[in-house]
Amino acid sequence: MKISYNWLKDYLDFDLKPAELGNELTFAGIEVEGLHYPGKELEQIKIAEIISLHKHPQADNLSICQVNDGNSTVQVICGAPNCRTGQKVALAPIGASLTGFKIKKVKLRGEESLGMLCSEKELGLSGDHEGIMILPEEAPAGTNLATYLQLQDAVYDTEITPNRPDLLGIYGIARDLSALLKIPLKQPELTSETIPEKIENHLSLENQAPDLCTRYTARMIKGVSIGESPHWLKNRLLAVGLRPINNIVDITNYVMMELGHPLHAFDYDKLEGKKIIVRKAAEQEKFPALDEQTYTLSNDDLVIADEKKPVALAGVIGGSNSHITGTTTDIVLEAANFLYSSIRKTAGKHLISTDSSYRFERNISDEMAEIASKRAAQLILKIAGGRLLSGKLDSYPDPFKPPLVKLRLSRITRLLTLHLDEKTVKNHLEALGLKWIKSEPDTLWFEIPPYRKDLLREVDLLEEIIRLHGYNNIASVDHNQDIMDKNRFYTRRKLKSALVDHGFSEVINWSFSDPDYLDKLKIADGDPRRDLVKLKNPLGKSFSILRPTLIPDLLKNALYNINHGQKDLKIFEQAKVFTRNDQKLAREKLRLTGIMTGHSKPVFWQDKSVEVDYFLVKGIIEELLELCRIDCPDFIPSTQAYYLQGQAAEIIFKDLNLGSCGQLDPKIATDFDLDLPVFLFDLDLERILEQVAVVDPVFREIPKFPPVLRDISFLVEHKYSFQAIRNKILAVNPDYIRKVDLFDEYKGDNIKAGFRSLSFKLVFNSSTKTLTDEFINDIIQNVIRKLESEFQIEMR
Amino acid sequence: MKEKLENIFKEAQIAITQATTRHDILQLKSRFLGKKSDFSSMMKQLGSLPAEEKPAFGSDLNILKTRISELLEQQDEIIREADYQKAIGRNTLDLTMPGRKRERGSLHPITRTWQEIEDIFLAMGFEIAEGPDVEDEFHNFDALNTPQDHPARDLSDTFYINDDVLLRTQTSTVQVRVMQKHKPPIRIISPGSCYRNENDASHSPMFHQVEALVVDQGVNFADLRDILNVFVRKMFGERIDSRIRPHFFPFTEPSAEIDILCIKCFGKGCNLCKGNGWLEMGGAGMVDPNVFDLLGIDSEKYTGYAFGLGIERIAMTKYNIPDMRLLFENDIRFLKQFS
Repeated sequence: MKISYNWLKDYLDFDLKPAELGNELTFAGIEVEGLHYPGKELEQIKIAEIISLHKHPQADNLSICQVNDGNSTVQVICGAPNCRTGQKVALAPIGASLTGFKIKKVKLRGEESLGMLCSEKELGLSGDHEGIMILPEEAPAGTNLATYLQLQDAVYDTEITPNRPDLLGIYGIARDLSALLKIPLKQPELTSETIPEKIENHLSLENQAPDLCTRYTARMIKGVSIGESPHWLKNRLLAVGLRPINNIVDITNYVMMELGHPLHAFDYDKLEGKKIIVRKAAEQEKFPALDEQTYTLSNDDLVIADEKKPVALAGVIGGSNSHITGTTTDIVLEAANFLYSSIRKTAGKHLISTDSSYRFERNISDEMAEIASKRAAQLILKIAGGRLLSGKLDSYPDPFKPPLVKLRLSRITRLLTLHLDEKTVKNHLEALGLKWIKSEPDTLWFEIPPYRKDLLREVDLLEEIIRLHGYNNIASVDHNQDIMDKNRFYTRRKLKSALVDHGFSEVINWSFSDPDYLDKLKIADGDPRRDLVKLKNPLGKSFSILRPTLIPDLLKNALYNINHGQKDLKIFEQAKVFTRNDQKLAREKLRLTGIMTGHSKPVFWQDKSVEVDYFLVKGIIEELLELCRIDCPDFIPSTQAYYLQGQAAEIIFKDLNLGSCGQLDPKIATDFDLDLPVFLFDLDLERILEQVAVVDPVFREIPKFPPVLRDISFLVEHKYSFQAIRNKILAVNPDYIRKVDLFDEYKGDNIKAGFRSLSFKLVFNSSTKTLTDEFINDIIQNVIRKLESEFQIEMR
Repeated sequence: MKEKLENIFKEAQIAITQATTRHDILQLKSRFLGKKSDFSSMMKQLGSLPAEEKPAFGSDLNILKTRISELLEQQDEIIREADYQKAIGRNTLDLTMPGRKRERGSLHPITRTWQEIEDIFLAMGFEIAEGPDVEDEFHNFDALNTPQDHPARDLSDTFYINDDVLLRTQTSTVQVRVMQKHKPPIRIISPGSCYRNENDASHSPMFHQVEALVVDQGVNFADLRDILNVFVRKMFGERIDSRIRPHFFPFTEPSAEIDILCIKCFGKGCNLCKGNGWLEMGGAGMVDPNVFDLLGIDSEKYTGYAFGLGIERIAMTKYNIPDMRLLFENDIRFLKQFS
C-alpha cells in the first residue's frame, strides 16, 4: 500500500524527515519497500504563458507558440488543439526528463521547438491526453508546477501484513505511529448537519444474506453538485496511486485510503423501487460492472440490488447502471462489511481485484463502516454540497462485543526478558487503542478495539509490547560457545571425501611405532622427526614411540595388501604425528599421507591400462589444495632421501612447506619388501588448515563474447620449466590471455638433444569487445618475442 | 528474360536433386543464389530497368529465388533423413558392455561412525572440541576427581611418557580443558583417540571415544536420559531403546553405564548380546560437583551431565564386525566394504 508523508501529517505532528519516518515504519512492522518523491519530476515543469500563436506554415495541425516562462520567451511547437493565446500552460523546458523521455531541442518541419507544452497524461496527473493542461489564469508564470500544485510529497510503498487490516488506511498507520512515537493522534472530522427529512421516507433496506453481509449502512445526500475535486484532494489520490474521477467518487476513495474502509455511492435516481436489497445472485444473473464488462454471476456471489437489478457486486465492484455521473443530484452512500472469504471467492472467480475487494478480503471491522460513512458524508457536504438526510439505514445482525484479553506481567518477563511495570504496559497498549478494564495481581485485563481483530490472546498483546518497546532493544543472551573451528572441521572432512572420490580408501593405524623405521626411511639425524616421544611402558619395541610420520605404517599397509593379492592400491591416513619439544606435553600435528601402487584406474575395455605416476599424484595434490583455495603452489625438487631424486617435489606456498609428493626410492621400497613403484604424498595438514582461506566465491561477469583459441608450438631447452614459460605467457597480456593450457610435450628423435617441444593452447577473451584476428596476431607475436628473448625458444 | 530465368531454374533443379551431402547443398546455394550468381547480377540490373518493367521482373526474380530455396530445403531434408537412417544402423551398441565407472574409495568404518555421531550431535546444537592425545595427570586424573591411589593410574592400565605425562585413557580430558577455558553454557562433544595398556580380540591399545558434556543452569538427569535415547535411536534406529544402570566413575555422581537394546535380537537374547538382550555402549552421569569446584564453576548455580561412548563398539555393533583387530589391519578388501 502507498502511504503519503503529507497525508500522515494531517493526524500527527512529527518532525521526522521522510527517510527517518520510513525507518520508523519498518520497525513498527510496516515494511517500507520503496520511497519516492512524486512531485520531483514536476519540479522541472514551469508554468508559462502563451504570448502569441500562429499556424505552422508547413503543417496545419501544429502551432508555433511564443511562451513566456516568467524569465524569457521561447518558441515551442505544439500540436494540441486547445492552445490559445493568453493561456497558462505547463512547459517542459529543454533538459527536463519526464517518465520515459527527455526534452531536447528539435526542429519540426523547419521550425525550432525549445520545449514542450504538456498534457495531464504526460505529467502523470491524469489520463487526460485530449489537449495540453490549461492552468488557471492566476497561476504565476515561472513557478514550478510541483510547488504550484502542492505536489511535493514523499510516498512509501509498504507491505501490510495480512494480520493487520487496520493498517490499510493512512489513519490506521498514523494510529500505530502515534503509539510508537508517543505523539498524540488527531481525529478526522466526522460530524455533519442533517436536515429533518428522514432517509426512511426515501429508501428501504433489506438484508437477505446476514451471514455474508455482516453490516450494511446507507446514508442519503440530496442536491449534490458533481464536478472536479479540489486540487488538494486530487493530489492526495494521485500520491497513493488513484485516478481522480469526480468529487463524489474521489471522496469515497479518499475515505477508503484514509480509514481503510471501502465505500460506494449510488445515484439515487437509478435505484428502482427505492429499495436496497442485499442478496445472493441468481444463477446466470447478468451484472454490468463499472469496468465495462458484464459478469455472469452465480448463487454464491453476493450482490447489492434494487428491486429489479443488481447494482453492485458486493464489496468488489460497482455497477455501470447506478454509478455517479455528471447529472447525479441525489446519492446513496453505502458503507458495509462482508464476510471476507465470500469476497475473496467472488473476486477470485471473476478475476477482479479492486482496492475495495483487497480490503474486504482482509477481514476488516464492521464498526469502521459507520465511521467511514460519517466521514464521507462530512466531506461530501463540504466539497460537493447537498443536504444530508436524518438517520441511516443499518442492518447489523451481530453487533461487535469487545473481547477481553488478559496479560500477565510475569509472562512479559518470561518471554521477552523485560521487566515492565503496570503503568508502562497500560500506556503502551492504550496508545494502540486498547482499553484497560481492571487489574488483578500480576494480571491486567484489556478490552480490544474493533479494528484489531488480530489481538485475541495474551501472546498477541506480548507482540504489541515488544513492537512498541523495540525488537532490537532486547539484550541478546550470549549462548555462543565459540569452541569449534568450523572451517578447520569441514576442511578436514572435505579433504577426506575428495580422496575417497579419487578412489582412496582410508586406513587407521595405531599411534605407536618402531624407531627403526626412521632409519629405514633414511631420515637424517637432525631432522625434527627424530625428536621422538618415547613410551615408558610400551607394549614392545615395535610400539615404543609415538609416530612422527605416517609413511611407514602406510608402507606396511601396502605390503599387507600386496601380500594378499591387492596390487592396485590407493590408501590414505589423516592422523596426528607426535614429536617432543621443550613443552611438558608433546607437539601434535595433523598430517595427511597417502600412497598409490599399480594401476591408476579400474580396467575399462576401451582404454589402455595406466600405471600410477608422478603427474597423477601431483594432480591429486593440486586438487586437494584447490579445495582449500590454495592456488598454484610451487613444486620444487625434493631432496628427502626416501624419494627417487628427480621424481619427487616439495610443495611450497608463500614460503611455507606444505608437504611433498613423488616416487618412493625403489631401494627403500625394497627395504619395506615392496617390489613395485610406490608413489606417495605426505601433507602437513596442520599448516594447510592454517592457510585455508575462508572466502566465498565472488561472481565475475561471464564474457559476452566467445573465446578465441590459438595454439603455439616451439622448441625449448630442458632447463626452462613449464611453469616459468606458462607464467611468462600469461603475463604478456593478462587482460586478454585468460588461460594457457599445455596440450603436448614431445621429446623425439627429430628433436635436437637437450630440447623438447611444447605445445600450448591459449584462450583469449574480452569482456568488452570481439577480438579480431589482427588484434590476436599482435598479441601472439608479442608472446613469441618475449619467449624468444627470455627462453630462446625456436618456433616450429 | 523469362526464358533465361527458366533456364537457371532448370539447371538448379538438376544440380540440386543430385546433391548427396549437406556440404553440396551449401555450395549449390552459393552457386545459384550467392553473391557471384547469375541471380545476384540480375538483381543488380533491376535498378537500371525502366520503371514500368521493374515490378514484373522483380516479382519474377523473387519467385525464382523462392523456388530454388524450396528445392534446396527439400533436398537438405532428404539428405538429413538419409544420414540419420545410416546413423541408426551404424551405432547399434552392445548395451550390456561395462560402463565407464570411476573407482570409489572408502572411509574407514571408524571414521564413518565417528562422522555419523558428530552429525547427530551437531544437528542438536553441540560443538566439537578437541584435545591432545598426550596429556598430564592433572587433566586425565586429578581434575576428574580420580584419587592418587586409584588403580586406573597403574602402569598396567596407562601408558606413560614420564611420571606426569601419559597417553589419555579417556576423552574426558577435553571436558576439563573446555571448562578451564570456557564459561557455561557448554554443549560439546569431543571425539578422539584414547590409549590403554591392553590388547586382545575386544580391546585395542589405541581406541576411539566420543565424550559429551553439557553444563548450564537447570541441566538434570532427565535431560541426560533424553539425549541418550535420542542419540541411540538416531544411531541405531527407532526400535532401539537405551537404559542406564548404576555404576561408578570418579567424575560423575550419580554415575551410570549405558546399554542399548540388542540390535540383532531386540532383547530376546542372541550370540551378539551373549543372551542378555542388551549391549553395553558406554558410561554416563551427572558431573560431580567436585569437578566443577576444582575448575572454578559454581556448582550451586550450574549442573551438567557427561557421557562417553566407544566408537569401535558402536561401529562393530552397527556393521556386525566380529573382531576389533579387523579395524586396524587395514585390509583393502575389508575397507572397501564401507564405501
